[in-house]
Amino acid sequence: MKFSRYILFSAAMLALGACSEDTMDKINKNEGNPPVDAVPVRLQISDAIMGSGFTASSGDYSFYLSCLMEQTIGTGNNQMSRAELRNPSEWAASSTFNNTWNGVYGNLMNIKQIIDKIEGEVPGNVGQYDILGMAQTLWALNFGILTDMHGDIPYSEALQGQANMHPKLDAQADIYADILKYFDAAIANFDTAIDAKLKNAGAQDIAYNNNCNAWKAAAYALKARYRLHMSAVDDKAIDDALEYALEAESLGFSDFCITTFDGISADNPWSAYYWSRYYTASCETVLDMLEANDDPRAGIYTYDTGMAYPAGVAEYANESPQELVAPGWLDLGVQPIHLISESELQFIIAECQLRKGQNADAAFQAGVAAAVDELVVGFWEEDCDAAAFAESLGSATLQKVFEQKYLQQMVDNNIEAYNDYRRCQAMGEEYIHLNNPMNVQSGVNRFPYRMPYANSAVLSNPNVKAAYGDGSYIYSEKMWLFK
Amino acid sequence: MEKRLLSLISMLMLLCGIAAAQAPSTVRGSVTSADDGEAIVGASVMVVGTNIGANTDIDGRFVITNVPSSAKYVTVAYVGMATQEVKIAPNMEIKMKPTLELGEVVVTAMGIKRDKKALGYASQDLKADELITDGTTSMASAIQGKLTGVDIRQSSGAPGASAQIVIRGARSFDGNNQPLYVIDGMPVTTTPDVSTGYSTTGANIADRSIDINPDDIESINVLKGQAASALYGIRASNGVIVITTKRGSASSLKPQVTVSTNIAAQRVSRKFERQTEYAQGNGYLGYSPTSSMTWGPKISEIPNDPVYGGNTQNDYTASGLHQGQYYSPQRAQAGLDPWTTPQIYDNVGDFFGSGLTENTSLNITHSVGGVNYSVSVSNSYQDGIIPSTMMNRWNARGLVDWRLSKEWSTGFSGIYSSSKIKSAPGANSGIMNVVYSAPAEYDLKGIPSHVPGDPTQQILFRSLSFTNPYWWAEHNSYNQHTNRFFGNAYIEFAPNINWGDNMSLKFREQAGIDMWTSDYSDINEVGTTTSLKNGDIENYGSEHNVFNNLFTINFDAQFGDDWNLNVLLGNEINHENVRTWDYYGSNFNFPGFPTIGNTASISGGESKDQERTVGFFGSAMASWKNQIYLTVTGRNDYVSSMPRNNRSFFYPSVSLGWEFTQLPAFHSQKVISYGKLRASFAQVGQAGRWFQNYYWTPSYGGGFYGYTPVSYPLPSGVSSYVPYYVVYDKDLKPQNTSNFEVGADINLWNNRIKMEYTYSYQNITDQIFTVPTDGSIGYQYVMTNAGKMRTNSHEFSINAAILQARDYDLNLGVNFTKVENKVVELAPGVESIMLGGFVEPQIRAQAGCTYPNIYGLKFQRDDQGRLLTFEGLPMPTGDSYDLGNCSPDFVMGFNLSGRYKRVSLSSTWSWQQGGHMYHGTNMTMNYFGATKESLPFHEGTMVVEGIDAVTGQPNTIEVAKEDYYRAYYDVTESGVYDTSFFKLRDLTVTYQLPRIWKLDISVYGFARNVLVWAKLPNFDPESSQGNGNMGGYFERFSVPATSSYGGGLTVKF
Repeated sequence: MKFSRYILFSAAMLALGACSEDTMDKINKNEGNPPVDAVPVRLQISDAIMGSGFTASSGDYSFYLSCLMEQTIGTGNNQMSRAELRNPSEWAASSTFNNTWNGVYGNLMNIKQIIDKIEGEVPGNVGQYDILGMAQTLWALNFGILTDMHGDIPYSEALQGQANMHPKLDAQADIYADILKYFDAAIANFDTAIDAKLKNAGAQDIAYNNNCNAWKAAAYALKARYRLHMSAVDDKAIDDALEYALEAESLGFSDFCITTFDGISADNPWSAYYWSRYYTASCETVLDMLEANDDPRAGIYTYDTGMAYPAGVAEYANESPQELVAPGWLDLGVQPIHLISESELQFIIAECQLRKGQNADAAFQAGVAAAVDELVVGFWEEDCDAAAFAESLGSATLQKVFEQKYLQQMVDNNIEAYNDYRRCQAMGEEYIHLNNPMNVQSGVNRFPYRMPYANSAVLSNPNVKAAYGDGSYIYSEKMWLFK
Repeated sequence: MEKRLLSLISMLMLLCGIAAAQAPSTVRGSVTSADDGEAIVGASVMVVGTNIGANTDIDGRFVITNVPSSAKYVTVAYVGMATQEVKIAPNMEIKMKPTLELGEVVVTAMGIKRDKKALGYASQDLKADELITDGTTSMASAIQGKLTGVDIRQSSGAPGASAQIVIRGARSFDGNNQPLYVIDGMPVTTTPDVSTGYSTTGANIADRSIDINPDDIESINVLKGQAASALYGIRASNGVIVITTKRGSASSLKPQVTVSTNIAAQRVSRKFERQTEYAQGNGYLGYSPTSSMTWGPKISEIPNDPVYGGNTQNDYTASGLHQGQYYSPQRAQAGLDPWTTPQIYDNVGDFFGSGLTENTSLNITHSVGGVNYSVSVSNSYQDGIIPSTMMNRWNARGLVDWRLSKEWSTGFSGIYSSSKIKSAPGANSGIMNVVYSAPAEYDLKGIPSHVPGDPTQQILFRSLSFTNPYWWAEHNSYNQHTNRFFGNAYIEFAPNINWGDNMSLKFREQAGIDMWTSDYSDINEVGTTTSLKNGDIENYGSEHNVFNNLFTINFDAQFGDDWNLNVLLGNEINHENVRTWDYYGSNFNFPGFPTIGNTASISGGESKDQERTVGFFGSAMASWKNQIYLTVTGRNDYVSSMPRNNRSFFYPSVSLGWEFTQLPAFHSQKVISYGKLRASFAQVGQAGRWFQNYYWTPSYGGGFYGYTPVSYPLPSGVSSYVPYYVVYDKDLKPQNTSNFEVGADINLWNNRIKMEYTYSYQNITDQIFTVPTDGSIGYQYVMTNAGKMRTNSHEFSINAAILQARDYDLNLGVNFTKVENKVVELAPGVESIMLGGFVEPQIRAQAGCTYPNIYGLKFQRDDQGRLLTFEGLPMPTGDSYDLGNCSPDFVMGFNLSGRYKRVSLSSTWSWQQGGHMYHGTNMTMNYFGATKESLPFHEGTMVVEGIDAVTGQPNTIEVAKEDYYRAYYDVTESGVYDTSFFKLRDLTVTYQLPRIWKLDISVYGFARNVLVWAKLPNFDPESSQGNGNMGGYFERFSVPATSSYGGGLTVKF
């Protein structure tokens, strides 16, 4: 029996030692992924930039709005054909932008943690004002896109994790006021970084390779874009926007874009979407505008076929994927994602100048030339004197500015096309005429004034659920900015 | 310590040897039946601790010579009689009792053998001869239709297809609901290595029960309620399946060799019959040789088509008309004569080959001199009905139980399994939709699948967003390869404690390992689809190493005539090490060599993970007058996968059994031969997988993207980390299942009718799941405790020996299960959570609904439920709704078997009533105009009955019938089907040949899954997507179910 007691005792000791809290902690160590504070912010900033491009500026918002703005038509007998035929089950459904909503807020969580680590002086991240400025710029950009799409959204109570599972909706006016402050804070931090010659991000900054001057200019350019969005609700918006835009230009603003795509192992989202689905084709609305001015972009837009299809016609919307002609740039996986382009900045300047009664020819032509040159010479590798074409369009008018801006926006800036369209409507103006007959069906409006809230929010946040209702509010309620 | 044990064992063996050297003697006696006093012929009498013994002669007598004087006992064994150990005495008179009368002995938790009547909870066991092992390769199909309270959902009839086995409903919303498997005393993992997740792409992945050869099983005991499984602690809240593998029978002196082989042919159980009247195209375009749909003109009319017709003037007939023919661009692409005459092809029938299943096994069992061994080698080979799909499995098994002495025994058991599976994909990667939707006039098999000389240029009737199935079979593959060993060794020590004759003490130490390596490789060759035109390969897998140590002390005592006591104390340590890897390569440098080394870009990585559970447990069972049985158990687990200071959990159970027929009042009647009432209560928990919050490297894919356009490192070499999208609650505690169970077992007329009824109520609280959150909190999920689920289940079975005679018998077994599994609440503000599917439709768990349910768009209706129309057509709601519960109202199984002389017949039938599934294939084929049901809608116009949403008046707008049909089958509600069915699962006829020389030969023929009556049109309802909780409920282009026909023979000698 002594022997049995010995067995018993050893087994008990062995078993108890095997389950102490320290031992269990060691066993439960996550070997696959690093803990929160171990990751330096420079490794976070790369995806903060990528997410701002891939998910927010381009991606699903861009795919759907391209179809809504008739910059392409939706086809392929699936989601995008329903979108083309303005089917509410596509546009008003909370599932439509669920991935995007989660993706953009997820990216904002990353941006927030970058800011918190630097401001909270987490060891390894102290004094990295260059990265702080980048994160603040991206914060403002991502929230700007979110509120432009959905109106009132969680802001002041957002991004708190488990501490607040049901953040309230903030008024769009308050969000706008706050994001403009973020641009200011970012610009101040870039100044500090320039003075101190900070290079904390290096190549991890996939937009400007840690060039803080370029970032500062981009912050001004974006600030101009978002200030201009307020033109229907704030009389001073035009003056301010022009001031910021000219500041960006004087700082030597160059395209704020992601160029890392090689078309082999990394593809631009529009090409990836096209190659995955072939749900998109060239639209007559664009082609008519191009042909009216003998625009050199007609070739790339119709893949050199001269063919395009009317918007909102079931015959084309329900065609099988890959049967219709689509813009040629979709086959270029290497094309960059524009967060804001030189061309857009020039059109902002031109619009503001015209609204202030100033001559805008230089900015207008520079905007056109930049857009045409990138597309025709850069992408389609055709000879083209973009400047001469721009000049041929004559002197600037608001009609021409918005038409040309619309054509610049057709590549990957469809969100801004939608914003401009709604803003002009709010100001009582219409420069782009949309032709889709399904925008009104049996006398009922089927052109959404905003994008619906996401499924995750509707299902899990009572505040959003109340605002979403059955989703039909997208056809009846305009947002503050574009009322 | 193990060394000490070993030396002790060898010393003991030496002692035995010395003892054996003393003067031998002769033992003689007789063996008779206790029932009728008749002699038992051929019973085996073995001297314990030696390998000597004898069989009884025709008078039941035996003589064993040269018995060492140290020997004190003999074991007596005979088929159908309870084996007993008897003290050696002069002229022994041994009386044997039938096993049945002694009471069925079942293996309960921790390998404790109990009289079935002593249990205070329901338990059901299946013996080897009750399992359906012929013509099948999986555990799940071996037990389907045989058990109450157990839901078995097969994913398809493909080789290696996964099955979901759930006992008494689910307990976890999105976690593991599969029972724990215990094989020869050791827990063995059976969950799949890789979850198919939302199950919208790729192929099915086998669950690891595939490593068990059903033919190796001697008995299966299913511990359904938590009281039955509480001793296994935290891993057993889903019930336990206790498997005992075949071991040496004590009935013979010489080894028994069993060779069995069977072969079966498979074919699709319900073949999709498509319409053969209308051609490819749609109402807008007419005949269109690239459309995915068949809403075109009549096939006979294609020659009159203005673009492709041979009878009309067009581009193709510029050089002359081709009367009665039409131009096929695909035939032209393939280098064939492009002009073809309209003709009907059976594309579905052409594609499905005939499957083949072969099982062969060799098994040797023997019991000699206290050593009981069993060795088997087996092979299962299966060719699927889809070209290139297959499975090949080899199993080798060895088992030894060695009784060293009266005090010491030892043994080991080991099973090796090697399986290779090639499977076919479904849903978005599917090939079945291409087969089903292929226009009847398109020769899918005859027209080559690629351009001559260039295999990367596919030819297909439709756009290449899906792959030509013939090209797929030739070039792409989903491969699974697993090598696994699991086994354990034990030592038992039952010291002579001298506390009295009626007390015994036993120590048992068992250590085991379950280790396997699984390699998966998904290959898409160059040219697969437009989005994968350069091909890709994903090599992934995992290496598992699970160590299990179990130490128990068992004490038995009898006090006086009335009281029995059994106490068990124990400790279990389970430690798992897992290494997983996943390497993805895209863009093959050149076709024909699809290896990861031949890709232009590779990304991937490896990770390691560990988990440990340490449990201390005890149970005490007291019985009074063999009439009242009370069992109390408790177990405390320490789990590594939970947060610090929340790792220790205690689980109690109590159960009571009362055999009321022991009351004197019942002694005088003959109707109720046995009656027992039972009641139990238990609590068991489930742990979560908790981590400190962490960062990960994201990638971009999903949604519209058919591949992963961006992953890190970027081409520039830049990598990145971001917060993971799940946040972990640092106060996570285990979820809790409380179970209350009552039941009765009643046998009538001398046990010829046996009835069992059990009611079980489970209340599951503090569910651990990743609660979906509003993305605006910065995370998509919070891993926390939330939600409640309740389950009421009723199980009833009746087994009747209708006829019983020497030459014939007839038995009927009926089992009935009704499980109501209700989601009471989820997290605050959370109404439903996704288990799988697309953006829409999905399978979800929804508060207030039966678990799980289908969730998607429905038709817009007015307050009176009338269909609303818009511009003359029905329209979907903007958002998703509950479209019906998945789980059935009830399930019944019928087992009818009979024997006449040497011929016996057995059959198993299943009836499922109610329940729903989303059947994407039916819906899409309707939308495509490919079904026979669509035939009346190909021509003409109609006015849809409904209310115009704009005017509020009855609809008067006339629409094309095609437009109506497509609008109707564009809304998920139209794709939700009732899954009621009645099936003949198995019919087996066996003929036992008269004994030839020393050979016992039986031959048999069988048919499986041959008769199917289902509410679901066109397809067998037992085919679906996914190997997780959504399995069985979500179908879209899934691999179909099969029926099989075959035969085999078993030879014993």
